[in-house]
Amino acid sequence: MTASDASTSHGHPPKIPRTKDELLRLYRQMLRIRRFEELAARAYTQGKISGFLHLYIGQEAIAVATKEVMEPGDRVVTTYRDHGFALALGSDPKACMAELFGKKTGLVGGKGGSMHFFDRKVGLWGGYAIVGGHVPVAAGHAFASKYLGDGAVTFCFMGEGALPIGATHEGFLLAGLWKLPVVFVIENNQYAMGTPLARTSPVDDLTVRGPVYRFVTDRLVVRDVFEVREHLARAARRAREQSQPCLLELVTYRFRGHSMSDPAKYRTKEEVERWKAQDPVHRHERELMEDFGVTEEALEALDDEVVAEMQAAVDFADASPLPDPEERFQHMYVEDPSAHPELGPFDRTDIPALTVRSFDPKG
Amino acid sequence: MAILQIREALRAALDEEMARDPRVFLMGEEVGHYDGAYKVSQGLLAKYGEMRVVDTPICEAGFAGVGIGAAMAGLRPVVEFMTFNFSLVAFDQLINNAAKLHHLSNGQFTLPIVFRGPNGAAHMLSSTHSQAFDALLSHPPGFKVVSIATPYDAKGLLKSAIRDPNPVVFFESEVMYGVKGEVPDEEYLIPIGQADVKRPGSDVTVITWGQGLPVALRAAELCAEDGIDCEVVDVRTLRPLDEKTIFDSVRKTHRAVVVAHEWPTCGFSGHIATRIQEEILDELDAPVLRETYEDVNMPYAENLEKLVIPSAERAREAILRVAYHRI
Amino acid sequence: MAKVITLPRLSDTMQEGVVARWLVSEGDKVKRGQVIAEIETDKATMEFESFEGGIVLALVAPEGETLHVGAPIAVFGKAGEDPQEALAAFESAGGAASDAASPSAPAPDAHGPSPEAATQAEAGGPPTQAPGGEAGETPTDRRIPASPLARKRAREYGLDLRAIPGSGPKGRVIVADVEAARAKGPVAQAAAPAATAGRFVDRPDTRIPLSQMRKAIARRMAESFRDIPHFYLSATIRMDRAAALRAEINAAHGAKVVSFNDLVLLAVARALEEHPRVNRSFAGDAIVEHGNIHVGVAVALDDGLVVPVVRYANQKRLTEIAAEVRDLGERARTRKLAPEEMTGSTITVSNLGMFGIDHFSAVINPGEGAILAVGAIRDVAVPDGAGGFTAAKEMTVTLACDHRAMDGADGAKFLATLRNLLEHPAAMLA
Repeated sequence: MTASDASTSHGHPPKIPRTKDELLRLYRQMLRIRRFEELAARAYTQGKISGFLHLYIGQEAIAVATKEVMEPGDRVVTTYRDHGFALALGSDPKACMAELFGKKTGLVGGKGGSMHFFDRKVGLWGGYAIVGGHVPVAAGHAFASKYLGDGAVTFCFMGEGALPIGATHEGFLLAGLWKLPVVFVIENNQYAMGTPLARTSPVDDLTVRGPVYRFVTDRLVVRDVFEVREHLARAARRAREQSQPCLLELVTYRFRGHSMSDPAKYRTKEEVERWKAQDPVHRHERELMEDFGVTEEALEALDDEVVAEMQAAVDFADASPLPDPEERFQHMYVEDPSAHPELGPFDRTDIPALTVRSFDPKG
Repeated sequence: MAILQIREALRAALDEEMARDPRVFLMGEEVGHYDGAYKVSQGLLAKYGEMRVVDTPICEAGFAGVGIGAAMAGLRPVVEFMTFNFSLVAFDQLINNAAKLHHLSNGQFTLPIVFRGPNGAAHMLSSTHSQAFDALLSHPPGFKVVSIATPYDAKGLLKSAIRDPNPVVFFESEVMYGVKGEVPDEEYLIPIGQADVKRPGSDVTVITWGQGLPVALRAAELCAEDGIDCEVVDVRTLRPLDEKTIFDSVRKTHRAVVVAHEWPTCGFSGHIATRIQEEILDELDAPVLRETYEDVNMPYAENLEKLVIPSAERAREAILRVAYHRI
Repeated sequence: MAKVITLPRLSDTMQEGVVARWLVSEGDKVKRGQVIAEIETDKATMEFESFEGGIVLALVAPEGETLHVGAPIAVFGKAGEDPQEALAAFESAGGAASDAASPSAPAPDAHGPSPEAATQAEAGGPPTQAPGGEAGETPTDRRIPASPLARKRAREYGLDLRAIPGSGPKGRVIVADVEAARAKGPVAQAAAPAATAGRFVDRPDTRIPLSQMRKAIARRMAESFRDIPHFYLSATIRMDRAAALRAEINAAHGAKVVSFNDLVLLAVARALEEHPRVNRSFAGDAIVEHGNIHVGVAVALDDGLVVPVVRYANQKRLTEIAAEVRDLGERARTRKLAPEEMTGSTITVSNLGMFGIDHFSAVINPGEGAILAVGAIRDVAVPDGAGGFTAAKEMTVTLACDHRAMDGADGAKFLATLRNLLEHPAAMLA
């Protein structure tokens, strides 16, 4: 995928039918992520956030569409660019912002920061900061689903930058070998930090890696949240109903640098502008006005509401206390097993068999 | 009371725990159809089936990660490394994931998982297959680390490791799987974090674990001929370390030697020596000495390997030195 | 630059010493080879010939202070040079500039400021000087090597580490040394309360610093009694013929040329020839059977004792032995023995007969397998075989043996031969 592909279609009229309410709902979710990220960036420049801060601006449609296809018990495992998933899945923006601020009230009590959001109750099973290291872990979640027969699907997101590393392929291999209920999604934002895909991959279509692991593969340029939702839903259905692992490549773009400290000099202004022209947030905004007659004033009012919600998150984070000193030792080891239901008694005996292939010399 | 080999004691522990809790499963290279590279898991596939005795391809990062992910999702994996030398390619999984995720998720996820397999030099396997990870895997907080040297300890501690709600690194030894010893017929557990005085004595405390134990016991016998009465403390668990037992013994003998099958530089033996001097310096009548591998990669040749690994004779010299006994 | 003169290592066991007397003064001009001081070692007081010449700029070591080998004792140089400069340079070089000290001497340990000094002060050890080595620092302020436990025990017992000889590596005081020191009894008890006023004269205890010799004796005797399983064999010997022979020889020379003890020494040497098992010592992993017979002679001094050695005693004539013992004894009393004259004995003879002691047991000199304790010659009445009594001379000897190196029968056979030789002494003159 090259950047020029982005300008091939504007998607009018939309391929996927939609209602105004549905569009407004998804648009609002995407806007929430964008405003959260913008306010986080501002707080970073004010010195309220430190460390690495990777923004999701430009890729919001993916997280929002994922939430649309998830069922209770499903899991999302993602990278260090994880704020969007937390917000889309339903994490409290206050706790998210407080985590960025390193506060006691943060999602993980100030232990993880931007790169390590975990929110089990909404299905966010982690933001992982070692590239590719979470792929086998996601396969492990899916292994447990198969073992326990819980019907859950694990969605594992990675950047295209995770494709070169071995752990990714070892995770793929085991998921394919054991036919695990997992959807691997490559969020191809075209730059691994500052390195464009063409300099790390011999092919542009990253899904060609799928068939060697017997994955069902699929590929889409992200312009329309409804399209993303449809492709994700197909993959999720295969994983859930047939325990068929899938590999989905979503070509997208981040409008900010890799992290706050990245001036993104490795790409041209023209390229950024070209992708901005089909930024799903702006496209859906135009769509709301042009196709559904939503007024500019109404959209401004909606934006004000979203900004107010996110500003409240900033205010909350600002006002929150720092973690207590003794909290640094908390949760090094399990302190109270009874506080963790998964450690409690287990009396099921209906463990299914694991699918094992037999070798066919003819291939 | 049955006489079992260490491999049989480990197998009994796996069998009992798999029967007790259907969430427990064994995963690793050759654990199933091959019956285990060192026959620890012999017969378990036939009894528990392929979902619970899982043969994996050669992909340590992959299956260690799958184990971690499965543990987070409620299972109780026992991941076997054919040797801990192969765990090196899974160190990101072990250290960045297994040892961190409970803390990093602020307690939201638990990781009841055991990583077990042989550690340390075996016999003439050369440098890539003769490494000791005692210090490497005890260094990052987050793991519990166990090292066994007798069938009794092997069974009681593996059962505790499997039931532990935390990630446990469980060190065994290729050359000790055939070591025999008494194992009670009735069920028992040995708590993680309890050292065991394998030989009581009054003159010098010899602290050891794993493959060091037979060396330490032999050295104690040699020293008895010199009139030095050694107390051999098998720590059994490196993390959390039972410092009380060590300190109590050193308070009695005022002298300590650590015998360890590991390298000396930044080794766990050094950690023990440090803790003794930090806490009970005034009890020491001599510096804490160590008998470890020589600080060199393990050569293949038998005579060279013998020189590198700890010997009872060298341990004896260290013991006599701290006892100010003339050699 | 001026040269720092350090305390020389004058014997192979010397770790510390004392400048007993300076024979030069500041400002004197000294030539190479000139005797500049008398140094008291663990064995003897020896003259110290300077390796350096020049003007004596400073005498750093006060007389009577105990110093480690390699410690600076004086500074020589040209007139007008600053001795402090040379001392500072010496300290900063870690004491390595010493050319008088042997390389194996623990010189670097003994010198100058060390980070341990603070620790020691904290631990309640002997007072230490602040780092920097300023003028005024006295040699005794330097750190005493001691194990932490030894420090703690010494503190608990109220013992001064400086007064405890260290038996560990590099003279480290270990807990066994502290316990041994304590077993020797209180050295610094508080004065008794004045309840006895009036009737009794109350005199305070005196604390006597250990001389080098006293320290060596303490260390070696404690080591011997601790490590060597002693057993004792006594025999009573008729000395009538020996007395007659001695009288005859002395009459012939017109002087007291030969003593009873000389006869005993000769008899011991000859008996050892027949019983090499008694000329053995225990060496940890082996028993050493000594090829030569070197007999040590214990010589009492005012402040201890020394054991000069009669070498190849079995190959010497009685008068040779007698002359040698007299010479050694005199030089021992004036502390003029060379260290090598006091090493290498394979057995020792200790005689307290001149003090009227009937019999006693002695402590084996480490490195040897036996020691013979000789009592006084007594006039006794013995049965004459005809129902009456007759006057006789008897002497009781007690042989202490290292049971690790020999057994009772070995010592008994040796004593039987010894008795036979002394009861028929003329044979030894053949």
